[in-house]
Amino acid sequence: MGIKQSSSTHSKGAFLPDASSFLYALLAGGVLIFILWPTIAILKESILVDGTFSLERYRDLLTGNRTLLKNSLFVGWWTTVLAVLIGLCCATYVTRTSFRGKRAVLGVLLMTLISPPFVSSLSYIMLFGRRGLVTWRLLGISWSPYGAHGVILMESVGLAAVAAFLIMAVLRGIDRSLEQASFDLGAGRWETLIRVTLPLAAPGIVTAALIVFIRSLSDFGTPMFIGGNYNVLATQAYMVAMGSYDLPKAAAISTILLVPAFLVFLVYRKLMSGAPLFSSKSVAAGDERPLPGAVRWFVFSVVWSFVLFEGMKYGAILCGAFVKTWGVNFSFTLQHLNTLQLTKLGSLLRSVRYSFVAALVAGLMGVVMARFIGRRATLFSRAVEFIADLPFILPGPFFGIAYLLAFNRLPEAFLGTGFLIVANCVYRQLSLGIKSGVSVLKQINPELEDAVRDQGGGGLAVLRDVTGPLLMPAFLVSFINTFTFTMTTIGGIIFLITPYTKVLTAEMFDAIQSGDIGASSVMASVIILVAMAVNVAFSWLLLKGRKKGSEVEYVPSFGATR
Amino acid sequence: MRRVVALVAMVALAVLVGSAAFADADRPLAGRSISIFTAATGKDETFAEFTKDTGIEVHYLEMSSGEVLSRLRASGGKNLADAWFGGGVDSFIAAGEEGYLESYRSPEAEMIPDEYKSSGGYWTGLSLVAVDLIVNTDVLKEKNLPLPKTWLDLGNTDYKDELIMSNPTISGTNYAVLFHLIQIYGEEAGWDLIQKMDANIPFYTKRGAAPPNKAAMGEVAIGIDPYDIGVQIVAQGYPVVSVFPEEGVPGFIAPIALMKGAKDMEAAKAFIDWCLSKRGQEVQMTYTAKVGTRPDAEVPEYLQGLGKAKIVVADPVKVGEMRDSILDRWQQEFGDKAEQ
Repeated sequence: MGIKQSSSTHSKGAFLPDASSFLYALLAGGVLIFILWPTIAILKESILVDGTFSLERYRDLLTGNRTLLKNSLFVGWWTTVLAVLIGLCCATYVTRTSFRGKRAVLGVLLMTLISPPFVSSLSYIMLFGRRGLVTWRLLGISWSPYGAHGVILMESVGLAAVAAFLIMAVLRGIDRSLEQASFDLGAGRWETLIRVTLPLAAPGIVTAALIVFIRSLSDFGTPMFIGGNYNVLATQAYMVAMGSYDLPKAAAISTILLVPAFLVFLVYRKLMSGAPLFSSKSVAAGDERPLPGAVRWFVFSVVWSFVLFEGMKYGAILCGAFVKTWGVNFSFTLQHLNTLQLTKLGSLLRSVRYSFVAALVAGLMGVVMARFIGRRATLFSRAVEFIADLPFILPGPFFGIAYLLAFNRLPEAFLGTGFLIVANCVYRQLSLGIKSGVSVLKQINPELEDAVRDQGGGGLAVLRDVTGPLLMPAFLVSFINTFTFTMTTIGGIIFLITPYTKVLTAEMFDAIQSGDIGASSVMASVIILVAMAVNVAFSWLLLKGRKKGSEVEYVPSFGATR
Repeated sequence: MRRVVALVAMVALAVLVGSAAFADADRPLAGRSISIFTAATGKDETFAEFTKDTGIEVHYLEMSSGEVLSRLRASGGKNLADAWFGGGVDSFIAAGEEGYLESYRSPEAEMIPDEYKSSGGYWTGLSLVAVDLIVNTDVLKEKNLPLPKTWLDLGNTDYKDELIMSNPTISGTNYAVLFHLIQIYGEEAGWDLIQKMDANIPFYTKRGAAPPNKAAMGEVAIGIDPYDIGVQIVAQGYPVVSVFPEEGVPGFIAPIALMKGAKDMEAAKAFIDWCLSKRGQEVQMTYTAKVGTRPDAEVPEYLQGLGKAKIVVADPVKVGEMRDSILDRWQQEFGDKAEQ
């Protein structure tokens, strides 16, 4: 203990100074090239008209397209309110009630979290369309499903899971003895809930609201499929970029999306700096008192309506994959599955391959960077960390169009191999990897590493025997999240697809767009199954690792906007 | 150990070289691959046959023809794909004029009548696409609406919110419809009808395939339909019928073209030759309901129904010339309602 006081300077020296500095420079350079440079490229494109600075595009957008902005904010606001309400109820149900069926609720939440964002739109038309199974066949009502109401409804249930997991993490972390103290001081159940529990959970609720809001703003799939002629900024960005290929205009539109997202990001960073990404063990304190009856039953009914709704949603998709003609002929068929096998297998395998590579790279980069950033509090490290955090909130279309602009002139080898698609996904998810790495490293006593060195172990021995095993859970978390993200994302990468790099989400996007229910359902089911299998397998690995004493808990991906 | 590895490597190499050298003597381009943009039905099956015949692998990206055109314009001449298969002829004409296409007169194209070919050799007609209406009879019965028989009927206010078409600035099919209506009714009455139809259309979809699918699902009663898609929907058993409006329907050419700067010119030319050959045309007619442009290719039984329709083949030159003025006017008057 007393032998090496100056452990920090020493350990830097022992850990191959040149190689590690070089590695750090390389990783930091990657962050600058693949995050900062595209961001600058898109901003530049949006303000240059014929080579000179001009805000003309923004003026045109703000005067000519005010409706779009208004629609985006309207949908974003109501989606946030509803999604957070449902999420809060689910989180409360799981952490604060004695109701049964928590596993079922968690399962449905996980399923919602990992399925591609626009799957909802598909089942919405199948169930609630003008000829939907529920609206028309069961209830016999004829209504117009297209418009803001459908978009808000489907975005809310889709994003409720994100909110639920975030709020759950915070609720679990609340020190129960504070509530106990409130009871002991004579407060009732209502007073304790409103004046103690909710304020303590507020950071989680606010964070959830902010993330839901950004994700709603950047979602273009749902409004495109079920909005009818109700348009929002994100769909306009997509259409302008892909339909008329007016990249400067698309850049300007997605930059407008960025403004609220960036404000939210600043608040988010402030809030998250305190809250742990990995929830620590909650503090158990004596007997727990139930929530007020009215609250309990409200929570119960919201949660089970949600579960029922989601059950129908996924049920419809699964059935749609195996019935001949949805809505007309419900007889069983393997025909859609065969079509997938014949023509879309290549895209499926490509999706899995990209996801695997992206997950591996993001996982490794995350933990290595965590080691550098966690231990060095220089201004440069902080700047790198800040930039690495950015893509977490950047709207998908913004980051995708940014890549298109920044890397359009790369040689064919990069474009044709999916390099850009993988890079886009890796850098979207990197910040989560860094964060989980840092939070694990904080739990490691630096003297443990010194101890190995004192025994004569070099940098590699430290990595192999101490840091490596301890960082394993952080790597796994990052791996699962990035895999799931890459497997299900569309918002950013749709702009980067070439004939050689088609992935299954893009095929599904096309199929939904053309209204091919059978093919879309098969693809949606396959994507969900693959993502689910990997999540289950890797969280099992993670849990197995935990028995060895690590304190990490699995928090599934609630991250970047898809 | 090292020797074993070396041996395995050598054997593997020998097998690879050997198979490349001998197995494909009759398929000189086997093992190469091309990339194409396409908007067509039955493409997976058709391309699989092509690969079987030639050994050339096809990678495709599905894009409406208008999308391809704007992407070509934006990339400023950078090569994006080797060939372009199917879609609206209007975009091909524009792309040829703007220098994005390579002139290529396939030897197989000799059989094809001149009116289906670009005079500059930039594109060659693959097939003739007809447009019809897919009408959901259940919805008509329920809403007590008559079966539409003419284009004029589609302007009838009874069909409010029951008609759907796709955005003509993106979908070549639906541009062909606008062009056709203006041709048969004249400038003034044509636009008048387009306006009345617009009043019945809740929104415009992005893909040409969406309107017939929406009609099949009962989301609307009537969808304007590229015939090859409607045929599949009728075959799937939806309660729909295909209607050819009495005034005649637009028949437009689905071309194939070689892209300027194609990475593998030779393989891309082989692809075009195959698509225009008798065999290629017959394969395509098996998998997609379009009549091939080659007179000696046999038309399958199920396509004979097209014979009943009065098809008006649009003059491709005129189609190309009027594109900008028609679409600009459409965008100005009705563009707000396009699905985004």
